[in-house]
Amino acid sequence: MTIPINYFLILSAVLFCIGVCGVLTRRNGITIFMSIELMINAVNLTFLAYARELGSLHGLIFVFFIMAIAAAEAAIGLAIFIALYHHRNTIDVDEANLMHW
Amino acid sequence: MFDLIVFFFFAAIAVIFALMVILHRNPVVGALALVASFFALAVMYVLLDAPFMAALQVIVYAGAIMVLFVFVIMLLNLQHQKEERTRPIQQFLGFVSSAAFAIALVYYIIKFSVVRAASGPFVSDARAIGHSLFESYILPFEMVSILLLAAIVGALILSQRGQSKGAEQP
Repeated sequence: MTIPINYFLILSAVLFCIGVCGVLTRRNGITIFMSIELMINAVNLTFLAYARELGSLHGLIFVFFIMAIAAAEAAIGLAIFIALYHHRNTIDVDEANLMHW
Repeated sequence: MFDLIVFFFFAAIAVIFALMVILHRNPVVGALALVASFFALAVMYVLLDAPFMAALQVIVYAGAIMVLFVFVIMLLNLQHQKEERTRPIQQFLGFVSSAAFAIALVYYIIKFSVVRAASGPFVSDARAIGHSLFESYILPFEMVSILLLAAIVGALILSQRGQSKGAEQP
């Protein structure tokens, strides 16, 4: 028997909301970044669940591109945090208020 | 039946380690918990008949990206840094709003159950993905390669310690 798609969608929704919670409540920049990766993975799971449900390969291709873009985003974001650490000696996002209005 | 047992076991692992990522104070423990969560998600991909994507998940996410995270945490010597509790009201509001969001999402997923479309045989091996990627998706593929090149250059420029100014003006 195959597992109903709803199970995967619910798991994906729960993981996404855990990621949202991490972004909203944490102040460590690296942890916020890891929460974003968690949200991206939840979306990937939704794409794959619907790809199997609809019998289409396009969902898998989208997951492929999302992985590539997540890698680029992680590289740039971590470089930004390294630069921030060199300037401010912290990666607490509360301290990074240079562009604060 | 066996599939269901595997699903619930690894779903529990994924959710528990994801919670550990956002609740643990130490970023190194968070990164390792995220690796465990990604491995559980790779098992989900296998259950969804996408073993190629599961391999990519393990290689790219659990391998490359998480090594990058752990490397930066070690480089900046953050493993001893603990964030102290400030702004309790905002934190409480964040927890409550994300929990409400989760409950609403799950409620509507259950309420409006997805109609099962009549689908053909689902072939998702590397050969099928390669054909699709290099025939109908060749332009996005090339654009992603350019994006990755731009990301490499950007990361190099961002992470150097401002030596370029001195080098340009001797």
